[in-house]
Parts: sequence; C-alpha cells; structure tokens
Amino acid sequence: MIYQLIALSLLGIGLYGLVWRKSLVGMLISVELMLNGAGLSIVAASQLTEADGASGQIATLFVMGLAAAEATLVLAIIIVVAKRFKSTETDAVSRLKG
Amino acid sequence: MLAKLAFVVYAVFVLGGGCLAVGAHSLVRALVGLICSLLGVAGMYMLLAAPFMAFMQILIYVGAVCVLVFFAVMLTRADAGGEEAGARKPVKAFLSSLAFISPVFILGLVIVNFQPASKAIPVEVPLAELGQGLLGDYTLAFELISVVLLAAMAGAVLLTFEKRGGHSA
Repeated sequence: MIYQLIALSLLGIGLYGLVWRKSLVGMLISVELMLNGAGLSIVAASQLTEADGASGQIATLFVMGLAAAEATLVLAIIIVVAKRFKSTETDAVSRLKG
Repeated sequence: MLAKLAFVVYAVFVLGGGCLAVGAHSLVRALVGLICSLLGVAGMYMLLAAPFMAFMQILIYVGAVCVLVFFAVMLTRADAGGEEAGARKPVKAFLSSLAFISPVFILGLVIVNFQPASKAIPVEVPLAELGQGLLGDYTLAFELISVVLLAAMAGAVLLTFEKRGGHSA
C-alpha cells in the first residue's frame, strides 16, 4: 500500500508541475514524473498481490517504451516551437500568431 | 529492518527529487531532481524483487530520456535566467495546488480504505518468463511499440528537418 501512496504522490507532483511550469521543457519533466508513478504503481500492484508478476512488469516495460517515444516527439516539437517563436514559454506560444 | 531503511531512503529520493523537479527555478536543477527521482524509483523496483525493471529504469529513463530532456534544455534558452524565472500569477499557484490535492486526496482515500491483501515478501519473476511473455502472449503489443518508436523518431527527424534555402519546416 505504501508503494501505491508513493506512486500517487509522484502523480500528484507531476500534475502540480504540469500546471505550475511555464516552459515546455518543465512540462515534459513533469510528464516523465507522472509516467514513473504509473510504472511504480503497476509493478507494486503486480508484485505485492496475487496477480501475475510477469504481465505487470511487461506492462511497465511498455509504459517505458511509450515514454521514450513521447520524449522523442516532444523534444522535436520543442525544437520547432523554439525555432519559430524564439521561446518555449507557454504564455508566448499560446497567442496563436502564425 | 534493512529493507525498511532502504525504503525510507528511496522514498526520500523519489519525493525530494520530484519536489526539486517541479520546484527548481533552473531547468538543469529540475533535471537533476528528475534523475534523483528516477533513481529512487529504480531502487524501489529492487525492493519489489524486480531487478530487471530497475536496470531498464536506469537504462531507458536515466540513460535515454534524461539525455533527451537535457538536449531540450540545451537547444532552447532554458537557463536559470530564462523562462522559468520570474513571478507567476497567484491564481496559477491555486490551480496547481488544486491539481495536486484533488487526485491525491480522492485516490489516496480509495487506496487507504480499500486495500487488497498484499504479500509481505514479493517473489522475483524469472527473466525467461518475461521474455516468453514479450514474445508469446504480447507479441502484437511488443511489435506495435517498435512501430510507435520508429514513427516517433521518423516524425522527430521530419519535424526538425530544415529545407535547404527555405525557411524552417
């Protein structure tokens, strides 16, 4: 149970950072924290209960792979945004001037 | 006893690193906090008798994803005097606290009130079983993950591709 609470607070910290951060890179860091909370929760749930341990670990491996893909894409998007807007601040980008 | 001590140390790593990751003004410090947090989660995987997951956590997250984030920090002007510095509106603090409190409160209530029977000592899953799961039962998902990774990388290259002589794509 205490593992679930740690994972839950990782999710909460990530959500807090997602709203609090002003730049896209900071938001990417927050999303990584939330994905880690998810992985920890899945592994703890599968290892500490009667559930199948292997499928839980495989699910977490899939979460890690998706996180890697997402980080790659977000990095590319950040670079494009930084080139076009000369800034990665969300307030500056959200004005929608083409 | 020693396991409890290790758990407390890892929990401090995870939560302290997480707080540093969202609270630091400099994005490089936030990245250091993220790495601390990821290493703490890797230690928790060790405590959960999943050493393969711990190694993968260090390889993929600390090794690959953090380097990617560091590239993002370097390629944008995200230094200490950059975009994260400066005051925010008070309503933003309220909103972000709400984003922290509401899921943690609701889900925490559920977790504390409805606990399933849990084992005291987790059993390690043999690596061969993991491999058989990946290439047996979950082959389609495994291959789809590779396709997603390929698409993400091709998309990343295409997005940042600059036309010769023209403006940026």
